[in-house]
Amino acid sequence: MTLLHRLASILRWIVRRDRAEKDLHDEVQAFADMAAADRRRGGASATEAQRLAVLDLGGVEQTKERVRASRYGAWLDVVGRDVRYGLRQVRHNPAFSGIAIATLALGIGVNAAMFSVVDAVLIRPLPYADADRLVMIWDDASRTGGKPKFFSTPPEWHEWRRDNTVFTDIAASQPGDAALSGNGEPEELPARKVSGNFWSVLGAQPLLGRVFTEDEDTRGSRVVVISYGLWQRRFGASPDVLGRTITLNDSSYQVIGIMPREFYFMPARDVDIWMPTSFSPAMLNNWGWHDVHCVARLKPGVSLNQAREAMARLSLRLSAQHVPLARSAVVTPLREELAGKTYMSLIVLLGAAGAVLLIACVNLANLLLARGAVRRREVAVRAALGAGPGRLITQFLIESLVLAGLGALAGLALAIPVMRFLETLVPQTMAAVHLTLDWRVLAVSAAIAITAGVTFGLAPAIRGSRLALEEGLRIGGRGSAGTRSYSFQHSLIIAETALAVVLLTIGGLLLQTFEHLSRLDLGIRSDRVLTFVTPLFRYREFEKRVAFVNAELEKIRAIPGVISADAISRIPLTVNDQATYYRLAGQSSNETVEQVALSRVVTRDYFATVGARLREGRFFETSDQRSDAPAAVVNESFADRHFPGRSLLGARLQFGNLSPKGYWYTIVGVVKEIRDRGVAEQLQPTIYRVHEQADQSGDQPSGIVVRTALDPTSIVSAVRQAIWSVDRNQPIARVQTIEDIVTRQLSVPSQNTVLLSAFALLSLLLASIGLYGVLSYAVTQRTNEIGVRLALGARSRDILLSFSRRGLTLTVAGLAIGLVLAAMTARVMRTLFFDFQPDYTAAVAVTSIALLAVGALACFVPARRASRISPMIALQQE
Amino acid sequence: MEKLDIPQGTLDLMILTILAREPMHGYGISQRLAVLSRDHFHVNPGSLFPSLYRLEQDGKLKAEWRPTENNRRAKYYRLTASGRRQLEQHRERWNRVSFAVTSVLEGA
Repeated sequence: MTLLHRLASILRWIVRRDRAEKDLHDEVQAFADMAAADRRRGGASATEAQRLAVLDLGGVEQTKERVRASRYGAWLDVVGRDVRYGLRQVRHNPAFSGIAIATLALGIGVNAAMFSVVDAVLIRPLPYADADRLVMIWDDASRTGGKPKFFSTPPEWHEWRRDNTVFTDIAASQPGDAALSGNGEPEELPARKVSGNFWSVLGAQPLLGRVFTEDEDTRGSRVVVISYGLWQRRFGASPDVLGRTITLNDSSYQVIGIMPREFYFMPARDVDIWMPTSFSPAMLNNWGWHDVHCVARLKPGVSLNQAREAMARLSLRLSAQHVPLARSAVVTPLREELAGKTYMSLIVLLGAAGAVLLIACVNLANLLLARGAVRRREVAVRAALGAGPGRLITQFLIESLVLAGLGALAGLALAIPVMRFLETLVPQTMAAVHLTLDWRVLAVSAAIAITAGVTFGLAPAIRGSRLALEEGLRIGGRGSAGTRSYSFQHSLIIAETALAVVLLTIGGLLLQTFEHLSRLDLGIRSDRVLTFVTPLFRYREFEKRVAFVNAELEKIRAIPGVISADAISRIPLTVNDQATYYRLAGQSSNETVEQVALSRVVTRDYFATVGARLREGRFFETSDQRSDAPAAVVNESFADRHFPGRSLLGARLQFGNLSPKGYWYTIVGVVKEIRDRGVAEQLQPTIYRVHEQADQSGDQPSGIVVRTALDPTSIVSAVRQAIWSVDRNQPIARVQTIEDIVTRQLSVPSQNTVLLSAFALLSLLLASIGLYGVLSYAVTQRTNEIGVRLALGARSRDILLSFSRRGLTLTVAGLAIGLVLAAMTARVMRTLFFDFQPDYTAAVAVTSIALLAVGALACFVPARRASRISPMIALQQE
Repeated sequence: MEKLDIPQGTLDLMILTILAREPMHGYGISQRLAVLSRDHFHVNPGSLFPSLYRLEQDGKLKAEWRPTENNRRAKYYRLTASGRRQLEQHRERWNRVSFAVTSVLEGA
């Protein structure tokens, strides 16, 4: 109640300032008049009465001032005055203010933009209920030479779900195919199979209709939930689609629900069809079928670490009963999985942006310290007029905040174009965003500005107020600031140099990594190759499939400008694990457990079309027709796994470890590594078969690669016509060139590199400006001393050396500290190096040379100025 | 006669007490205080007005401009309900304090 009264009265004082002032004046005047009238009644003359009354009062203005100062909210007046004063300072020192505001704008703008993308990826709520309790569970395949985080299997999901004690429930999701046909052009839709409890585990609700139940999942009901995007695009956003039957993979499915626009889930934001997993009993017993994503919800009160321990134990116990080598399980927060590699890049980039801001603040602190000395007289006058240390510190801080505020405004203007660039950093696994200056970004920028203002303003404020009080008006123009005051500035310089060194070194390492990635031998010739996918669900029968693939390739090869065309089961460089078990002749069944290789089914001249190179043996030939003695080509990783240093030509292998039946394939050739799994991904042993000899395989050569003599995108429509001339209803999907694929996969590392390098250069620039500023200031301050030294016979060379030495000492100290910090940082962020070992020495060498060169320049200019001082003029300045 | 310093914290109590009788302007309050204290206290406007303003800001007093008996215009303060409650609390506390102090002095 009292507080409310106070606030209302403070507000009145602000809004109706004139009236409140007049009121106060009238009241005090009335007091004086009444006092004078009383005196006159007591016999005093009119003038004497007036004089005595004012004396009584202790002065009209003084009384009013005491009222103003003791009112609640009086500090607002003070702040208002200081802000106006600060703005006046900005106007009167355009050069200083320009540099300060520009520096701050860079620091704040970069951080506001970085925050907006971090917010979008790491902070904003995910489209699931209580998403921070959601985790993913993976197989730990590291004991069998696989990845420490591998897809789990249907039986694991089933048994984990049954036996675990740490989750309320576990849901499964599996890759799915959905070729939509009938009503319009046939197309291949991104699809996932999910278990019936998937929706309740995520806490996701459909926009319209319903989701399928566990019962429908177990019964194998043909029902699907579709995405908002598909509903809009393909069904005209009509609610009638609910209950309608659509044709997927030549079977009928009923549409029962539509998910909201913002819903997405691993592994990609563009899934259009959600269908039941409907695991068969055989699948639920297949401990080798690694393609399941398990998502689970932590029980209330269970921590991530408890879940990790419990799941590792459970998985070891359960798998021991089914596979020879028991495997552990890994639990990771869902948010981290969705962010993927971006998680680490964002943290590193945010750190780098923070470092830039810190350097900017350090520079400003130094600038203000220097200016504080210049303003000492002005401050001394204020102190003499009664401003206490607290009052002076407030005033200095408010001036800093005014600068920070102006810097933030300029920074926000700068942030908008940076945001456009950063949008592409949002990973494919998450919803696309349009970054804007929303209230969250604005609030954070304001917080940054205030923190920055206090950070760079506090030390100069304290220093300034202390100097003023210690020395008062007695000081002359000469700075008596001794070594004590310099040592603080020196540590600031060392700190900012060290930060710049960290950024430069990390930037150098990333640059090397990117260079390495972009020069990687892909194993194929990436120029002028068009790729696309023709789902073959309509050709389940082997003979028909072979005939169709050969017929469509024949038509494509006939298109003018096409050099060759072939097919493969997975487009090269696309991250698609399609693993298979295998057994080499002579291996015991114990050896082959968990022994997997990537499997690819190709048409005969596939290797020639993509430009792959042979290490030994031969590629497929016309003679490799369907026969009882089929051929296989393997990659170098495969050869090195089993036959390091020896030829494996003629070795025989068989697929699958479950049935002893099946063909024996003879290895006829070794192909040099093709980066089948993705540009930056690890290589894996791979087995290639020709499709005529792969009738036992589930792999279908649906990926088409076309090498052209001209721009590959120019033949896209001709290719469509060619395929449709063979089959009117054949869907064609994901048309792209190999170069597109490479560019896209390198976009994240390339953006990291560009951004971090920009931050590093910015920090180098700022740090050198800082060094330059401090030295120039020292030269100005010590003009007298230099004059004396010169007059006493010092040579100008000595002066030059002494100043340069001082600057370089600071630079070297910063360099040394920075290199240690950089080594520590590089270790934390090594996932950004994609298994590549960048050359640390080279990065350190380049950083050191760059820093020393820039540092030397920043020292030399002021040092030379010092050495050119004329003793006469210097001494006359006194 | 030498004036006494007004003990810390009692000025508000005395202002509220004076205004409890009738609304009054600043000068009137200072005169009334002198009379009631038998001229031992003399309040300076530099202390009186800040106190009045703060009490008003706290909602204990309400002010309005009115003509005086001598046909001047003056700002009259009057107690609000909340001011009256505060007066009672403060008076009660003051009574206890002065009783306690007197007891100590007389007991010794």
